[in-house]
Amino acid sequence: MQNILIIARRDLRAQFNSPVAYVVLGGSMLLLGVLVFWVPAVMGRYWELDRASVVPMFTYLPWLMSVFVIPAVTMRSMAAEKGSGTLELLITMPVRDSEVILGKYFAALAMVLVLLAASLIYPFAMFVWPWQLGALDWGPVGSGYLGCTLFSAAGVGIGMMLSSLTESEVMAFFMTLASLFVLYFIGSMVSLVPGGLGDAISFISFQSRYQSFAVGLIDSRAVIYFLSITVLCLLVAFRSLESRKWS
Amino acid sequence: MSNDVMIYANDLSKTFGSFRALDKISFEVKCGEIVGFLGPNGAGKSTTMRILTCFISPTDGTARVNGHDVFDEPLQVRESLGYLPQRAPLYLEMSVYEYLKFAADLRHLDEAKFKTRARSVVEVCGLAQVLGKEIRHLSHGYRQRVGLAQALIHDPPILILDEPTSDLDPNEKTEFLDYLKQIGKERTVLLSTHNLAEVEASCARAIIVSRGRIVADGPLDEIRAKSGRVRYVVSVQESAPGVYRGKGAPPKKAEVEDVLSKVAGVKKVGDLPTDERAHVFELVSDQGVDLRPEVFQAVVENGWVLLELHRDAQTLEDVFRSLTIGDERRNRKLPPLGGAPQADDDDEDDEDDDEAAGAGGGGDALVAKGDRG
Repeated sequence: MQNILIIARRDLRAQFNSPVAYVVLGGSMLLLGVLVFWVPAVMGRYWELDRASVVPMFTYLPWLMSVFVIPAVTMRSMAAEKGSGTLELLITMPVRDSEVILGKYFAALAMVLVLLAASLIYPFAMFVWPWQLGALDWGPVGSGYLGCTLFSAAGVGIGMMLSSLTESEVMAFFMTLASLFVLYFIGSMVSLVPGGLGDAISFISFQSRYQSFAVGLIDSRAVIYFLSITVLCLLVAFRSLESRKWS
Repeated sequence: MSNDVMIYANDLSKTFGSFRALDKISFEVKCGEIVGFLGPNGAGKSTTMRILTCFISPTDGTARVNGHDVFDEPLQVRESLGYLPQRAPLYLEMSVYEYLKFAADLRHLDEAKFKTRARSVVEVCGLAQVLGKEIRHLSHGYRQRVGLAQALIHDPPILILDEPTSDLDPNEKTEFLDYLKQIGKERTVLLSTHNLAEVEASCARAIIVSRGRIVADGPLDEIRAKSGRVRYVVSVQESAPGVYRGKGAPPKKAEVEDVLSKVAGVKKVGDLPTDERAHVFELVSDQGVDLRPEVFQAVVENGWVLLELHRDAQTLEDVFRSLTIGDERRNRKLPPLGGAPQADDDDEDDEDDDEAAGAGGGGDALVAKGDRG
């Protein structure tokens, strides 16, 4: 346990020592602002909703996480270590392979959660201070953040897994981006595909799993789904790290 | 296995696909020994070290470090050793101090112990000036020192160092080897290198691997004797700036060569490069007989002036080359057309130069001796 913390702390510090963290943090906040307040979309523009609601933000948050934040944060975690050879020094310390995986996973997740927490600035600024645009119902905000957290947990798991399969950060970035993009956006196809296939897609899709959280529902099946994906991906990452021994 | 065996390897084999990187390697290293692990690139040195540090698993065979099996007790194995991988891969964005602290944390050193150990390794590895610097700004030599420092931070009984001196300058190398001798007194050190002079300077014993097998293992003297040949260098005056003290005229080169080749026991006579003042020859004979009296006698009988006569034991370099010569040829040979290309162990560096430079150095030294005469 102690080792997991030591590894996580080191990784997190490395993230903040590199410009990537700040680029991701600044870039995603800016993008989120633009998307929520300017760009019209399915949910309608924030200003046109005429309600004290941050649902539009929760529509865009997972989107932003899928194509930008999670790939950028997880790309380095395993791939860079393998590429530069630092993994050899880390693993030959008295640590378990599982501690390495978990340490790196929690560091990446923490980084993503910092970003999520930063997005709180928007509901706060709109409804608490400096503006009070109405009485915001904080219930759906809470469930939305819970959904985003679970979504991030699974997404970071996928990123870790893919990062552990390659030695190139760029490869890791694009593989994670593509996987999350597909997993999220097949949700939009559910209505187009009839019957069993549609059901299957809606079962797999991150979007259909996440949607209920955005509007204030906590769906236990979705909770279990996201957690299962996380565990599964971490197991694959662990196996992939172990496989160096036998290749 | 007796108690003082710190590293024990028995029939270790490792295959990467169809490439056999290690083929039944067995050896033991006892407490307090500094053992040089030698071999050409791709011979299996790094692979062996990675097995001993539990980074990879052997395909076959067993290994124990400090009494712990590498397969069953990897954590205990790693606790008892300090490891410096090839090219010291460190986290570049960390400062030297942060890195040492990180290594100490993972090895569960408490704050007080870390302070004392850090002071000691910083002094020993010469890191005081760069402690606050980020590792990315350090030269390769300094990075290697940091790598060594992290391997020593927990005061391990066993050190495994994979080419620790490859990026050091000559002064640093000498310093490092002196230091190694000093710390090696109570520790067990396994050190891989290309540089044979380093082994001669710091190790009492060497293990030479070639193509995944051990081709020699023992004290350096024994290994040197392994080729079973002895070399003599004879230098006879050819002309003198002042008075020539020999009988008659100074000899011609062919005369000297002829006389030397007739000395009983001489297998081969070769001339060595020299200036016009002396003829210098190299004689090769079998081991066990000392030809120096005969050679001296032959020169005296002809009335020549002997400038120099000495017996050279085989250098480690010669033995190394004769034991591992096939590797180089194998590397240059293409597989038959249509056949699968040979898998390569890409873990090894391509630093053949060391070896070649060493051999050239030996030749120069010989010429210099001739000059002095």
